[in-house]
Amino acid sequence: MADPALRLQALVKRFGAHAAVDGIDLAVAPGEFVTLLGPSGCGKTTTLNLIAGFLMPDAGFIALNGKLVQDLPPFKRDLGMVFQDYALFPHMSVADNVAFGLKMRGVSREETSTRVAEALSLVKLDGFGARRPNQLSGGQRQRVALARALVIRPAMLLLDEPLSNLDLKLREEMRSEISSLQRRLGIATVFVTHDQGEALTMSDRIAVMSDGKIEQIGTPAEIYERPSTRFVASFIGSINIVPAKVAEVPVNGYARLETPAGPAIAQVGGAASGRSVMLTIRPERLKLAGAGGAPSGAVAWSARVGRVVYTGARLEVQLRLADGSEAMAEATNDGRINLAEGQGIVAWFRPEDAWVIAGA
Amino acid sequence: MNAGPWNLLRIVVAAIYLFILGPILITAAVAFNESNRSYFPPRGFSLKWWGEAFAPQWVQPLMFSLELAALTAIVATAIGIPLAFAFQRYEFPGKAIVRTITLGPLILPTLVTGIALLQFLTVIGLGRWLGYWALLIGHVIICLPFSVRTIAISLQAMPGSVENAAASLGAGPLAVLRYVTFPIIVPGIFAGMAFAFIHSFTDINMSLFIAKPGQRPVTVAIMSFLDFGFAPTLAALSILSLLIPLVLVALLGRFVGIGNFLYQEQGRG
Repeated sequence: MADPALRLQALVKRFGAHAAVDGIDLAVAPGEFVTLLGPSGCGKTTTLNLIAGFLMPDAGFIALNGKLVQDLPPFKRDLGMVFQDYALFPHMSVADNVAFGLKMRGVSREETSTRVAEALSLVKLDGFGARRPNQLSGGQRQRVALARALVIRPAMLLLDEPLSNLDLKLREEMRSEISSLQRRLGIATVFVTHDQGEALTMSDRIAVMSDGKIEQIGTPAEIYERPSTRFVASFIGSINIVPAKVAEVPVNGYARLETPAGPAIAQVGGAASGRSVMLTIRPERLKLAGAGGAPSGAVAWSARVGRVVYTGARLEVQLRLADGSEAMAEATNDGRINLAEGQGIVAWFRPEDAWVIAGA
Repeated sequence: MNAGPWNLLRIVVAAIYLFILGPILITAAVAFNESNRSYFPPRGFSLKWWGEAFAPQWVQPLMFSLELAALTAIVATAIGIPLAFAFQRYEFPGKAIVRTITLGPLILPTLVTGIALLQFLTVIGLGRWLGYWALLIGHVIICLPFSVRTIAISLQAMPGSVENAAASLGAGPLAVLRYVTFPIIVPGIFAGMAFAFIHSFTDINMSLFIAKPGQRPVTVAIMSFLDFGFAPTLAALSILSLLIPLVLVALLGRFVGIGNFLYQEQGRG
């Protein structure tokens, strides 16, 4: 079996008494795009700095293509890295910036100029070689940083929040551009972000981090639809979380639940009967209907309409459930929804759209 | 709409510039007097006081000052670079104390530092040794804060990720220093050098105490001559010693871009 491009094993980094990275295991397959996602302080950037070699781990192993590198300094690791602030060399032209890694590798002058031109063309900056970084826009600087990291044909690409300094429109543009470039080059990539939108749209797999640990790792769909913990469920997207008890031993992956809002049936991982759990439903999967309007087989709860927030294509409807707790439904604005605050309504969902996670 | 406050501000600004430039212009004009008196406006026109200013009596201290300032600037920079790195990059026991001592001359009156150095050299038995080397030591002490500060500021202004980027691209620590760190802080180094040069060149307080009679900086020479009154020669000499640092700063600004440090301009993007 081929070695993964990157393997982290039981990686630990402490700052004083605080473990910023607290035992991380992760494998990135060749060509795979893996995102470390989490709030600030979760250890994602520290993890990236450990991979890059800017920090040395207190314990654990880092292997690049099967070779242990945790004791190597950064300049011997052969990684391409793009920084949040671009980190271009201000005293060098764009071409010299891109050529820097090749110069350090002793690549010949002719080959360097060919490869620099190729790399600049790859990021659509042909003809920008003579400019200075301070003559470029933020997006162009980020492209130079990308070209500079890729021109050395690194073993893998590390991206440290590369989009966070760009404005919204440019960010979305660069998002798809980085994605397509990464796919085209087939380079294994670790991407660090706190932006769930970036994580969901760009990644093959997402590792959600909290408190120095990986809470869950999986494809964007797995992370979004089958969160394994309350933290993952609420960090990505918005979600309704209802406390529940498992009423019967689950059959075929579905469990009968008692909740303060009413009885329910939902998909379940391994929860046993009698246990306190959390029932989770995404707002877009919670539907609204008039009395008796829920389809058969659906879980239907009575509710009252609270505030309705108009967002254009969608309506966010706040609901008050039978026990007084709040929930949110998101409906497509099809022009036929007419809701008044205080109105009685039925909130319903299909059992396959609700997911049970462990919790008190 | 309400021009009152703005007009007042204009008057204040004009007054400030008048008081900065006026004395210099008057001094320059006085140097063209025909007679040996410092009349203003000058009576008659003559270049003889300028010729006088280039007599050995004045050229010698002028050259002495230039040499001392140049040497001071070089030594202060050579010591300042590692000190700035140490203060900016490393934690070590007693760092705060060492930093305070290094930057101390910035806030201590130079007169006090001068007297103290004089006492110290006498106490440790090097009193007889007073002279050029003691003068150089004194000048380095009072000029060191300028080079340390400007180099430290340029180090601080450099984003740390730039060095990391270079390392990730395959540059070892020495290559990072040579190709990235050093070129980025070079304007700061030269600015510190210029500050040190100017501070040494214009110093009188330190030199008054430490200089030996035979080795007098131009400031001390002017000061002694003032006992006989202000002559047009001194005016010419003053203008000369004013122009030298100006030319130096202009040249450095032109070739190394130290303007950022002198005039607080927007840094590089």
